[in-house]
Amino acid sequence: MKAIIIGAGLGGLLSAAKLSQVGYQVEIFERLPITGGRFTNLNYRGFQLSSGALHTLPHGPTGPLTQLLKEVNADVQIIRSDQPTIRMPLEKSNPNYRKGFKDIFFNKFFTPLSNKDRLKIALLIVSTRKNRPSGSNLKAWIINQFKDEWLLKLADSFCGWSLSLKSDNVPLEEFFEMIENMYRFGGPGVPIGGCKGVIDALEAVIIANGGRIYNKTEVSKIIVENGRAAGIFAGDRVYEANLIISNLGHAATALLCSEALLDKTYASYFKMLELLKPSAGIKICLAADEPLVGHSGILLTPYAKRINGINEVTHVDPNLAPPGKHLTMSHQHIAPENLKNLRVEIELGLEDLKEIFPGKKYKVLLIQSYHDGWPVNRAASGLDPGNETPILELYVVGDGAKGKGGIEIEGVALGVAATMTKILG
Amino acid sequence: MKINDNCVGCGQCVSFCNQGAIEVKGKATATAACIGCDICFLYCPVKAIEVSV
Repeated sequence: MKAIIIGAGLGGLLSAAKLSQVGYQVEIFERLPITGGRFTNLNYRGFQLSSGALHTLPHGPTGPLTQLLKEVNADVQIIRSDQPTIRMPLEKSNPNYRKGFKDIFFNKFFTPLSNKDRLKIALLIVSTRKNRPSGSNLKAWIINQFKDEWLLKLADSFCGWSLSLKSDNVPLEEFFEMIENMYRFGGPGVPIGGCKGVIDALEAVIIANGGRIYNKTEVSKIIVENGRAAGIFAGDRVYEANLIISNLGHAATALLCSEALLDKTYASYFKMLELLKPSAGIKICLAADEPLVGHSGILLTPYAKRINGINEVTHVDPNLAPPGKHLTMSHQHIAPENLKNLRVEIELGLEDLKEIFPGKKYKVLLIQSYHDGWPVNRAASGLDPGNETPILELYVVGDGAKGKGGIEIEGVALGVAATMTKILG
Repeated sequence: MKINDNCVGCGQCVSFCNQGAIEVKGKATATAACIGCDICFLYCPVKAIEVSV
C-alpha cells in the first residue's frame, strides 16, 4: 500500500511516521526547502526562534502529541514546564500593571474573587464536569454567571494564548472539552531542542521506516478517479497512491482537486469551507540577559492591552539561546477587525512588554505575525470540519482539522490519531 | 527582489537571509544591504517574494 502526504508540517510528519510504521510505503511532498511547517526552529543570531509554535506542547509529556510520538518510537524528550502563573495588578481595580503587580499561580485563579463567587466557582468546577454547559460562547456564559470583570479578562487571556481567539469566539462545548483535556492530559511541556527536536525525531523515524521526503516539490493537483483519490501531480510527474493525506487544511486541499469537486454532490462541502476562518496572532521574540518571566511555565497577562501570555523556554532547554541568554516569546491574538492595522497591534504589544517587564533589559529579536495564508490556526478551534473529505481515501490533517478540545498541536495530534483509527481500524 | 501583498510578516525570510537585509514589522521589507541573492524566495511559505529573472 502506498500513501502520499502533502505537506511536511507536524500533522503530515506524524501521519507519515505512523503509516510507515505499519508498513505503508510513504512519500512526503513539501514545497519549502525545510520540513516542519509552522512547528520548527528558525535559527536567528544564535537563538532558536520558531516558524510558528512557541516551543511548547500544551499537555506536555502526558499529552496526545507525546503519546503519538511514543507510539511511533520518535526519540525526543518532553519536559513538563513549571506551573503557569497569572500577572495581576497590585489592586484588582487597577486597569493595568503600571502601579505594580504580583503573580499568582494559574490554579489559584479564583483568589481575586469575592467569597460568594469563589464558592460558586468551586461548585461549577464540580457540576460542569458532570453536566457540560453548551449552546453559547464562553464570554456570554461567564457574564451570565458572574459580575466580575476579572474572569472575563482571564478568559480572553487564556483563549488568546491557547487558541488565538477571544472568549466570545470560543464555543462553550469546545472550552469545556479543553478543560476536560487539562484534567485528562495535564499541563504544558517543552521539547528538548524546541519544535525542531520533535520534527527531527519524526523525520528519523520516517527515513528508518523507508519513507521518502521530497523538499522543494510542490503538489499541483490531486488526481481523483471515480470519487476516490488516486495520486498527485508534482513537478510534471504523476505519483500514484492508495491513500492521500493532506496537511494543507481543507480549503487548499479542495483547490488541488477542484475539477473533481465541481460535481453538485460536493456543494455542501464547499459551502462549509467558506465558513472556515483562520485565527491570527503576533509573536514577539525577546533576547534577555536575565530571566524576564523567571520560570519555565506560561505567564498569562490578562491586564495587558494586547499580549495574552509569555513563555521563557530557555529554563528547560538553555541551548535554545546563546550561553547565558534567555529566549522570551509573547503571543497576542489579533481580532479580525484589527488585521488591517497590524503595525498598530504590534506597537500595542511592544508597549505591553514595557509594562509587563519594567526596568528589565531585553532586546526585540524578531516580530512575527501570522494570519490568512500562514495563520495561527487554519480553522478556528471548535469550528473545523474534521479529517474526512467527500473524496474517498483523501484525508486532511493539521491545524485545519483538529480533534475536539485539542489546544494547538495537541489538536493536530488528536486529529492525526483519529484519522489513523479511521484508516487502520 | 520584490515583496508582494501575500506577505503576512512571519519573518521566516529574515532568519534565512545571510546579509541581514530584511526587516519585518507586520510585513517584510528589504534594506539597502540586499544583494539580490534571492535565497529568501525559496523559504517564503506564502509566495510573497518575487525575484527578477
